[in-house]
Amino acid sequence: MSPFLSLISTICLAALLATSAASLYRMLLGPKAADRAVAFDVLANVFVGIICVLCVWWDSVLYFDAVWILTLVGFLGSASIARYLERGRVF
Amino acid sequence: MPSPVELLAAACLLLGTFLMVVTGLGLLRLPDVFCRMHAAGKAGTLGVVLIILGTVVAFAGTANDVWFRGLLAVLFQFLTTPAATHLLARAAYLCEYPLSERTAVDELRIVLPSRPDQAFNQE
Repeated sequence: MSPFLSLISTICLAALLATSAASLYRMLLGPKAADRAVAFDVLANVFVGIICVLCVWWDSVLYFDAVWILTLVGFLGSASIARYLERGRVF
Repeated sequence: MPSPVELLAAACLLLGTFLMVVTGLGLLRLPDVFCRMHAAGKAGTLGVVLIILGTVVAFAGTANDVWFRGLLAVLFQFLTTPAATHLLARAAYLCEYPLSERTAVDELRIVLPSRPDQAFNQE
């Protein structure tokens, strides 16, 4: 990748790491289980963004499949946590 | 001087990253769980979609083109994130999670009777 996009992806990577620290803080200290579930949702999205930015930085699409797989897995996690909170069981 | 395609990719990446940072700030600073879902559901979705689109634009026209997988990821993101946020908000409301004390009006309380017998409140 060109030096311009390398610079841009480095900036984006730093900002996304700061965002993941914020959502980890909320996941650790969130007063209740639903706060932790929301923080997990955001953390999955931040990791999708980090994978994309790393693809640009390394000029490689080797890990790009993880993007849409992580989207689906994050949805399953949030949906099962929500069902557990609402009914006391997942299935 | 970067080409117009690179400028477009950089704009998408930077805007998406800005929205993700806004999501993190909202997660830290908003008062109750429903406000935090507001930050996570809207800004988070648009931010990650813009980052994926920026990656697709950055690789467009090169040997490893990823537009199909990228559009698949965007489609899944738009399908799943609103549903997940809605499920979580419903579960949190039915479990009587406390609203912020600055809440002015709770219209759902009139429509939806509380169910303390079935509420399964973690912690």
